[in-house]
Amino acid sequence: MTGPDRTKSRPGGAIRCIRETDLRGAGRDRFAGPAKRAIETGRNRAAIAAAVFALGFLAVAGRLVDVAVSRAGGEPRQLAASKEAAAPISARGNIVDRNGVVLATNLKAAALVADPRRVINAESAAARLASLLPEFDQEEAARRLASDRHFVWLRRGLTPRQQMLVNRLGIPGLYFQQDERRVYPHGRIASHVLGHTGFDNQGLGGVESFFDRRLSGVGGVGRDVTLSLDIRVQHILHEELMTAVAEQQAIGGSALVMDVRNGEILAMVSLPDFDPNQGAGSSEAARFNRNSLGVYEMGSTFKIFTTAMALEYGAAKLDDLYDVARPIRVARHTINDLHGSGRPLTVSDIFVKSSNIGAVHLAMAVGTAGQRSFLGRLGLFDKPAIELSEIGAPLQPAKWREINTMTVAFGHGVAVSPVQHASAIAAVANGGILYPPTLVKRAGNGQALGRRVISPVTSAKMRELMRRVVVKGTGRRAAVEEFEIGGKTGTAEKPSKRGYQRRKLLSSFVGLFPIYDPRYLVFVLIDEPKGVDGNSRRATGGWVAAPVVGAVVRRSGLLLGVLPTVPVEETVDETERPIIKVNAGGIALAAR
Amino acid sequence: MELSRSSRHHMSIMARVARINWVVVLLLSLTACVGFVLLYSAAGGNFDPWATRQMTRFVMGLGLCLLVATIDVRFWLRNAYIIYFAAMGLLGLIELIGTGTGAQRWIQIAGVRIQPSELMKIAVVLALARYFHKIQMEDVAKPLYLIMPVALVFAPALLVLKQPDLGTAMMLLLVGAAVFFVAGVRVWKFVAVGLGGLAAIPVVWANLHGYQKLRVLTFLEPERDPLGAGYHILQSKIALGAGGLTGKGFLQGTQSHLNFLPEQQTDFIFTILAEEFGFVGALFLLGCYAGLILYGVTVALRARNQFGRVLAIGVTINFFLYVFINIAMVTGLIPVVGVPLPLVSYGGTVMLSLLFGFGLIMCIAIHRDVQITRREGDGL
Repeated sequence: MTGPDRTKSRPGGAIRCIRETDLRGAGRDRFAGPAKRAIETGRNRAAIAAAVFALGFLAVAGRLVDVAVSRAGGEPRQLAASKEAAAPISARGNIVDRNGVVLATNLKAAALVADPRRVINAESAAARLASLLPEFDQEEAARRLASDRHFVWLRRGLTPRQQMLVNRLGIPGLYFQQDERRVYPHGRIASHVLGHTGFDNQGLGGVESFFDRRLSGVGGVGRDVTLSLDIRVQHILHEELMTAVAEQQAIGGSALVMDVRNGEILAMVSLPDFDPNQGAGSSEAARFNRNSLGVYEMGSTFKIFTTAMALEYGAAKLDDLYDVARPIRVARHTINDLHGSGRPLTVSDIFVKSSNIGAVHLAMAVGTAGQRSFLGRLGLFDKPAIELSEIGAPLQPAKWREINTMTVAFGHGVAVSPVQHASAIAAVANGGILYPPTLVKRAGNGQALGRRVISPVTSAKMRELMRRVVVKGTGRRAAVEEFEIGGKTGTAEKPSKRGYQRRKLLSSFVGLFPIYDPRYLVFVLIDEPKGVDGNSRRATGGWVAAPVVGAVVRRSGLLLGVLPTVPVEETVDETERPIIKVNAGGIALAAR
Repeated sequence: MELSRSSRHHMSIMARVARINWVVVLLLSLTACVGFVLLYSAAGGNFDPWATRQMTRFVMGLGLCLLVATIDVRFWLRNAYIIYFAAMGLLGLIELIGTGTGAQRWIQIAGVRIQPSELMKIAVVLALARYFHKIQMEDVAKPLYLIMPVALVFAPALLVLKQPDLGTAMMLLLVGAAVFFVAGVRVWKFVAVGLGGLAAIPVVWANLHGYQKLRVLTFLEPERDPLGAGYHILQSKIALGAGGLTGKGFLQGTQSHLNFLPEQQTDFIFTILAEEFGFVGALFLLGCYAGLILYGVTVALRARNQFGRVLAIGVTINFFLYVFINIAMVTGLIPVVGVPLPLVSYGGTVMLSLLFGFGLIMCIAIHRDVQITRREGDGL
């Protein structure tokens, strides 16, 4: 309701005298025409202003979508330009991911130097600098400034602001030199892959160290390195593993995503990690790369190799039955099953239910010599040739006895790094070709580097078995709606000086998707999980690692260009509902 | 009748408090809380040095806001010019005793550092609102009657430009122009002034400081100098892009934490929001702003007198310009000018003057039914 209307509706003397002095009332009475128009104008124009606000907000919101979400804001062009412009002053090359996103670069900084002979009062100069610069060693600086040399270093890597503040102190004898600072815009997300750099920007650790000569170059201008990493997938993997390790109160974890068709690593995370921007300040433990330097007895994921070996050598067929009811006693050891079964199991069920006893029977059917040569062919006894400075050598028994053949069958007694473990599993699943793992984007498809290790037929059988693990076996918690995952759980007891420790586990899951035409392998290992809801019986790979793999696949599948399966539900009967899933690789029928 | 009459002249304190719009107070607090969170993050997960002081200021400012809102609206009408000239005085003082990075913007009074140009933005609106309230509606059409308000706008704008602070000067002119528009000045006059302004560009360009020229050139072509003047825009766009849809998470931003966005706690604080909370976080803040601006517009549309309408819309435009210019600048839509993100950026005077402004808007809403004569306060 407007002012004048309300006044009109209340006739009476008391109001009259107020109206005399009221602009609106007076306007209406005396010059109804123009004044009313003026009021209208005022109101209309306020409304127009409101419309302009709305447009302004739309413009800003649109720009945000442009810059933050679609990233079409001309950013790549500018980044490329900045690289070129920076070339003369940036000696060390950039490290970029497979899509050209900068993972490590240099920024111009200033180094604070001094000519002590021109410094009037060393003590006060040092004190004033210490008040500005964090962690500045005042005594050391005072000592340097009091020396009779011509040139001393005081501090490197000053930010522009610090430089301005120091400059403003106006202390004679202080100078700045152009300096560079290595910067990792994504922080700790890819810390172990990248490594870090030291005081003179020399590479320390990771690819910074492995490619140090190429990055620093000859004659001052280094060349860039393009990694196989996809920072988007790396981000997802890092986040999911962080969450899982935190939830499980685990002491650490490792995870990686690998392209099974050429061995390229798209993401690799090791926890605990460090911020490479403050690389030197991190602890030894944080810098330890569990994926390449750490070697672990992997546990049941090794049954992938044992089963593939038995099938490949013709020592067993998928529906051969084995008696797994009785534990196996060898010397003073007893081999038992985690998920026991009273009846004989087929080779397929041995794998799906992850029976240790069954795996031992399969390995024994092949024999020690066959097992050693098979695992050797998969590269499990050599150091993996990955482009990192931290690589651990696998461990195997000095002498293989029968007991070793038995324990290796289910993943104890041989310790391998997650990287080489993943390569070998990729070979079993991809049709039988082993590709050396790499962190560098391959020129072309890199398939010439592959070496056949098992037959396509065995590989196809293994894919089917790994699918069954996720559909109805120990790996059910890895299943996601959108993609067909296959895989294998692993739960290893950690060794100590006095045998294996039942409560300290390495729980892992290796998943492949889409399983019938595998493109990517996702491996997750959690070190000493406390168990889901703190229940230590729920600390196995199937409980703690499989869901992480599922989550990573769900979030990164589309990014990696894998077509999701389209669930077509045809309800035949309410009680029995077969789900027909159509995917790029064909049609598979799975019953619930 | 008697009751109705007296309520039109005077409202009791309780009646005024009862009409405070608490939803707006909540919106103001919500927006300020976004600021606290970001300042905490900007300090690397510390309440010091920024978040705590900002909280103190907000509490003080909110008190001021509510005080301003409950004072009789006629008090502000009567004292509009006094406030304006006080702000002008402070602006003039800067010439003598001011300090600040690159430009003289600050002034120290009784141990408190204030930025008179921020106060001026509200004072100008107050003075203009009073002026347009006093004159006859049809007088607005007469050019002679516009000399005085034009002087009210240009005098502080010139002083601010001399500091030199291009951004604030531009904002003063824009706010002035918008108030003129709402007051009913004919559109062709704006067009004429606009054309005049275009003609003046070469003259202005010749008188711009080197760094100001550089900023405009950099805006037109950011790749020109990626490590120099283009650095800010480039870095902030990387930060925005890195945030994506939902951001990297609280305290997880790297772009802003690495100290490569200087002064990120003030004008570039939006980058922290976008990097750590992503597009969703940015949209939330925009929503808060939109709510506050909607409130200002509603108050203006419902105002029953020219003073209230012009004042409310003027303060709202001022607020809107802060939001728009800051975000447009950070996202690279317009050149870098020193305009903070309202209620969020670290800074005391801006916070206080904005809350003072919102106090005025609330004051108008509360006293909507109070009659104001055109001659009110003529004795002063």
